Amino acid sequence: MVRPVRSICIVGGGTAGWLTAGIIAARHRTESGGLQITLVESETIGIIGVGEGTWPTMRTSLKKMGVSETDFFRECNASFKQGAKFARWVTGQESDFYYHPLMLPEGFPSLDLAPFWTKYSDEHANAPSFSDAVCFQEAVCELGLAPKLITSPEYAGVANYAYHLDAGRFASFIRQHCVKNLGVRHIIDEVTGVAKTDTGDIDYVETSKSGRLGGDLFIDCSGFRSLLLGETLEVPFVDCSDVLLIDRALAMQVPYDDEQSEIVPHTLSIAQKHGWIWDIGLQTRRGVGYVFSGNHTTADAALAELRAYVGDRHRDLQPREIKIVAGHRQTFWKQNCVAVGLAGGFLEPLEASALVLIELSAEMISAMMPATRETMDIVARRFNETTLYRWGRIIDFLKLHYLLSKRTDSKFWIDNRDPASIPESLKEQLELWRYRAPGDQDFTSNREMFPAASYQYVLFGMGFRMDVGNLPLDRDVGIAQQAFTQNETLKAKWTRTLPKNRDLINKIKEHGLQKI
Amino acid sequence: MRLVELSRSEHAELRIRADLVEASAASQHLIPIVVSEFRKAATQYPIVFAKSPETGRFAPYVLNGLGVEENLFWSGTELDVAYVPLNVRRQPFYVGTKDASGVLCIDLDNPCIDGSGQKRIVNPDGGDSSYLKEILSILRELVSGKDRTEQFIATALSLNLLAPIMLDLVLDDRTPLQLEGLYALDEDRFRQLDEREIARLWKTGYLDLIYSVLIATGQIFKLIRLKNQRIALSRAWHSNAG
Repeated sequence: MVRPVRSICIVGGGTAGWLTAGIIAARHRTESGGLQITLVESETIGIIGVGEGTWPTMRTSLKKMGVSETDFFRECNASFKQGAKFARWVTGQESDFYYHPLMLPEGFPSLDLAPFWTKYSDEHANAPSFSDAVCFQEAVCELGLAPKLITSPEYAGVANYAYHLDAGRFASFIRQHCVKNLGVRHIIDEVTGVAKTDTGDIDYVETSKSGRLGGDLFIDCSGFRSLLLGETLEVPFVDCSDVLLIDRALAMQVPYDDEQSEIVPHTLSIAQKHGWIWDIGLQTRRGVGYVFSGNHTTADAALAELRAYVGDRHRDLQPREIKIVAGHRQTFWKQNCVAVGLAGGFLEPLEASALVLIELSAEMISAMMPATRETMDIVARRFNETTLYRWGRIIDFLKLHYLLSKRTDSKFWIDNRDPASIPESLKEQLELWRYRAPGDQDFTSNREMFPAASYQYVLFGMGFRMDVGNLPLDRDVGIAQQAFTQNETLKAKWTRTLPKNRDLINKIKEHGLQKI
Repeated sequence: MRLVELSRSEHAELRIRADLVEASAASQHLIPIVVSEFRKAATQYPIVFAKSPETGRFAPYVLNGLGVEENLFWSGTELDVAYVPLNVRRQPFYVGTKDASGVLCIDLDNPCIDGSGQKRIVNPDGGDSSYLKEILSILRELVSGKDRTEQFIATALSLNLLAPIMLDLVLDDRTPLQLEGLYALDEDRFRQLDEREIARLWKTGYLDLIYSVLIATGQIFKLIRLKNQRIALSRAWHSNAG
């Protein structure tokens, strides 16, 4: 007997639950009905809501869901993010910083400027940083400018951009859209139990007031608890804390000095003695937090470091402490249940991987939506392969930041460079990159997370030296020179033309962005 | 620009050279108009839409040139057109805001304020001159037209009737010419509107405006002809000089 997939039950309503509901509903809801999507969320369980940084993918996700970017800015305390500035990651000195911008290097990937920049900076003591030499976004960020103009249409930019947002407000913003415009059924209730069928599928979830909620496919967005996938289906957790040592976070919401304080247009990541501090500028406040290793320092000592960073003026702010176990479920889709968000796993927010993984997972579930229960196992297998691969690449990329550090001021940094803690896949890549820059040939899967350019920004930003002596560069020297010059031209143009980040956000709130 | 509130007593001696007023548009390729001007404007210019660089909001403009800061109607002494937009004719007067209401202002930096001018603000008896009365009526039309224009734009946007256009031409001297950031009424989309929507446009008077804009589109050929004439002139000049 063929059992068609007609209904989806999502358990949990944080950003994971609502984004997943929105992405699937935007594709599978039809005038005549289509898939029926129900989301059940508890009134008493709060959301973790630490995901405040997105990737540029969020623009596509919002647009596909039919959300207006203007409304998003008005409702979600949102601001523009143009990548990340990593400070004190290499030597720990005051002057030590580099950017991982969101724009590709000029001419990339048909032209690779990395070896040309390497050669130039080998020969010139005061060469510009890699990211400054190959793209104009670092200059834009350093000046606190926005990535677009008030005349740019919604979701279009002069420079590539993502967002910083208030995760709590974002979840309720997407919820309203899902319920009002996308036909998602919303149930506020406590889940009191989960029942399985003879075959081991999830049959229904039991709720206190609404009875049994069934579904052909269940999506576990229950957060760290992993109620369906972890607790009910007993999928084990794969601990990655041998690679990524951070296991704790202290988070604060820091108010601005005044309403018109500058909003930094990128994520700040400032390395500390036993971890690093994130600093994310929203419209009305900053989100600041210290992620650190509890095996290397105490919570009190970490709090002292965090307080020193936010300053004496904010000494009354009380941090929220969050325990982190770096890692993920062994599989993400088992039987008729798939986990999205924290229920699937968590990593430190160094490259804002949380929200993007939700989007990619929801997008993949939506695109591969099995028509029947019988075909679901094929989809599940593919989903697991891809998702596992993605977690692996994120872990590699996060680890890269640590192992290129030259800091010796604590055991935390030294332990992070212990060869035993470095994944083999990453070791191999680094061997190759000693003689040529990361390129698309190193990332051949269509499931890649970070483009080769991101590896370039981190490697060369952190002072990784490549031996370019044997590379055939002569042929492209003219084209490379043109690209460097083009970058300088664009830099001059856009640093002159783009508005201040705060000013543009004010204007968007007042006048809105046009759709065209 | 130096805007001050106009005072009938303090500014009584100011003289204005009406013949210099049109010079203010000599290097404007876009001049904003209000909906009450659409019909008259359509006889002379293409009507396009562009976003304000300050607010990103759409407004209608008459297109005077094919390049930034180019006005092909400017003869050197006047605008060679049968209809000059209100926003030119109102110079050097503006409407400012004071205590949330509009006040008449004058731009003291405007070159048409000149002792040799014939136009005066007040009559010898102290009453408003007929010149000032005409200016006031122009400003009134601009102010009252602003809301109606915004409503028309909002309606056009809600029906997805605006679409970006890129003027992409090759002139007689084979130079390619591109003008970005302009929007036009999307005729295909307009033809797809259903009866109910068309009836609504008809009742609000917007249907007339839409047809004016569509008809005005053809004026682009006049601009191209003027541009090519300029090129021919400059070529002749260079060959004579050579």
